[in-house]
Amino acid sequence: MVKTGGKPSASEVVYSIQDNLPALYFAFGRGKTELLAEELSREWDFLLPGEKNKVEQAIRDAEAQNSGLFGNRRHNLRQILIQGIAYHHAGMSPALKDLVERLYESRLIYVLFCTETFAVGVNFPAASTVFDSCRKWDGREFRGLLNREFFQMAGRAGRRGFDPVGRVYVRIDDRFPEQTGFYSEDEVEPVRGRLTISPNTVLSLLYWKTDEEINRFLEQNLAAYQNNKESRRIKTELAAMEEKFTGLGGCFCEDIFQPSCFLLRTKLKKELHTLSNRRRRGRPGARDRRDEIRAILKITQKKCQHHLCVDARKKQDIFTEKKTRLSRRLKMLDRHSRDFELEFNNMWDLLEELDYVGGRELQPRGLFALYLHVQELLVTELVFNGYIRDKTPQEVVAILSGVDYIPGRDEQVEPGLINLEPVDELRKQLLKKGVPENFCVWSHLPGSLSSAWYDGASFEELLARCSLQEGDIFSMLRRTIDLLRQIERAAGEDVELRQQMEHIRFRLDRDEVAIMGV
Amino acid sequence: MTKNSEKVPRKHKRRVFRRDRIEPVPAGPLELDPFQVKAIDSLLAGFDVLVAAPTGTGKTLIAEKLLEQVMSSGKSAVYTSPIKALSNQKYRDFVAEYGKEKVGLITGDLSINEGASLLVMTTEIFRNWCFANPEMLEHTTHVIFDEVHFLDDPERGTAWEESIIFAPSHMRIVGLSATVPNVLEIANWIADIRERPVKVIVEKNRAVPLELNWVSVEGELLFEDEAREYIKERNERRKGRWMEPELAGVAGDFEKRGRK
Repeated sequence: MVKTGGKPSASEVVYSIQDNLPALYFAFGRGKTELLAEELSREWDFLLPGEKNKVEQAIRDAEAQNSGLFGNRRHNLRQILIQGIAYHHAGMSPALKDLVERLYESRLIYVLFCTETFAVGVNFPAASTVFDSCRKWDGREFRGLLNREFFQMAGRAGRRGFDPVGRVYVRIDDRFPEQTGFYSEDEVEPVRGRLTISPNTVLSLLYWKTDEEINRFLEQNLAAYQNNKESRRIKTELAAMEEKFTGLGGCFCEDIFQPSCFLLRTKLKKELHTLSNRRRRGRPGARDRRDEIRAILKITQKKCQHHLCVDARKKQDIFTEKKTRLSRRLKMLDRHSRDFELEFNNMWDLLEELDYVGGRELQPRGLFALYLHVQELLVTELVFNGYIRDKTPQEVVAILSGVDYIPGRDEQVEPGLINLEPVDELRKQLLKKGVPENFCVWSHLPGSLSSAWYDGASFEELLARCSLQEGDIFSMLRRTIDLLRQIERAAGEDVELRQQMEHIRFRLDRDEVAIMGV
Repeated sequence: MTKNSEKVPRKHKRRVFRRDRIEPVPAGPLELDPFQVKAIDSLLAGFDVLVAAPTGTGKTLIAEKLLEQVMSSGKSAVYTSPIKALSNQKYRDFVAEYGKEKVGLITGDLSINEGASLLVMTTEIFRNWCFANPEMLEHTTHVIFDEVHFLDDPERGTAWEESIIFAPSHMRIVGLSATVPNVLEIANWIADIRERPVKVIVEKNRAVPLELNWVSVEGELLFEDEAREYIKERNERRKGRWMEPELAGVAGDFEKRGRK
């Protein structure tokens, strides 16, 4: 079992904040929310008997509509709901999430342990928000929350017209006190342009847009706009600095760097000092240079207000340093200003090589990929290389459900009977042809689940076959439905392919996988 | 209390002391805030508008006021949201407000009533429409981007960007954003690319102000400076642990070995 971390435990935190409930208790990790909820439920009970009856009733109503609501895995949740405690994360089935949300809105949940997703969009205000930790896994690494992310979540505290202030609590972890986050709304990060150029973007631009429009897109997207703006700002700053730099020249007299000049003499004294250093003393030429310097220093120093030129000199040095830094930044911005054009051209070249386009004209493959928005190259290749047509629906489903699927760390699924190795072969060929890895994302993992679902298996049966959570299976099948619809649209006049996809889609879109309430 | 005794369920669970609970004020006809009035006025005057305000200050209300007007004048509008679940939720809200026949939902895996005058979409779908079937948007006067700061999302930001750049030119853009420091820059960019002025409305204050506290290891509530001090002390104590009597010898040995 995972350790819940150092004190204070959730139970003690809740003790400290008990005057300010309900609370949204943010934790980063599904398992963590469950663990904390269970831990709290061992010590706390928030509901009065009348309220417990209401919760029981709501649960029974929901179960009447959906018998497997809690299934084998979520019995714990059923119990703790009756104590006014719950958890909410993406691994749960939509029906169960919906139940928790409704109970929360009816103010029958006092502490809700949840992940970040609960804070985006739908407004569920609370009296307070608690941060179990300020670090999250962002798909690549554990990192501290950004100010923007923190306040998106923290801002759920404070119900309008009810709480005078929204209270936000950040837990200091016994083991990692140094990781505690400090946040300020004045330091929220600016929005930066993040344009990436996908195969579909290039195809869409070539097919539907004029050259002029394409150029506008490449030169005036947000990132380019921000780059240009910064370039312009740096250039003005540099010009202003140049002016001030020359202006400072007025502080020097005509004798600057003559033997009588204080500036030169200070510099020479420093040099003399270094040359007297034991290590340098013996170097060839050092002795002569020392004599030379001494000779110069013997000349009388000019009587002048040398602090004027010393100050000016210092200022000039600072300017020079700043100038180098800005020029370096400017050079980098200049280099990046052509990035989008390059990226676009590279993708165009690749598409030409793969026979999606010829010049500016789209080929059959290109016209097909035009309507795909997930792994468009891989899916097009699957269709055009005979992996879809004339295959059994089970095979098609198994292949398509793996598109763009990135298995979680410990995800396991009982393997099915369908041989999916040829897809791996195709992927390898594409990679060899120079298609970047992120445009060939595919996994065999969900294949046996989706084909079983097509064959009419129950949701419980799917759960029994794998370590995936309800919410994961649900979104995997919804994504497959989405992809099937895209292929239908791409099929166009190809009625046979369209009907094949439609038939599969109808079989998938049922029971637990159908969207409720719409 | 030792760590083990915590694991044993208590016979009587702890309960919260409840004062007579005040029921929340019903969310009835709230008075509009000045920034909401300003935003609605600019929208009704036909401007593109970018609103930046903290969560929970009533940005959605602005969109709703606009939709009322658009719908009653027989025109159409698109509402895009960053998350599918959110689109479904919004669809349900709008159906309750305007009736089933007036509202549609398109999220990729779902498509209901595509011809309706108010369409709820994911931003990706709107982006696709801008390329593939702009004629479907001929009578659509406005597109509302909820949580437009998603522009900054490394994976999905592109959809927002392409939507803003390629939305048919007759469409007005309404961006609802969390507080970000460079709203003006974003607005200027939109104005540049759409060749039309964009009104910017910023509300910095929260409807309910936030108070940040830190919870110490002992369960005490600390203010920021107290928390910083507390963490510093703990860190020092932690380093100091090497110097505790029973450990000092070990640490000494370790150091000696280190020096060799």
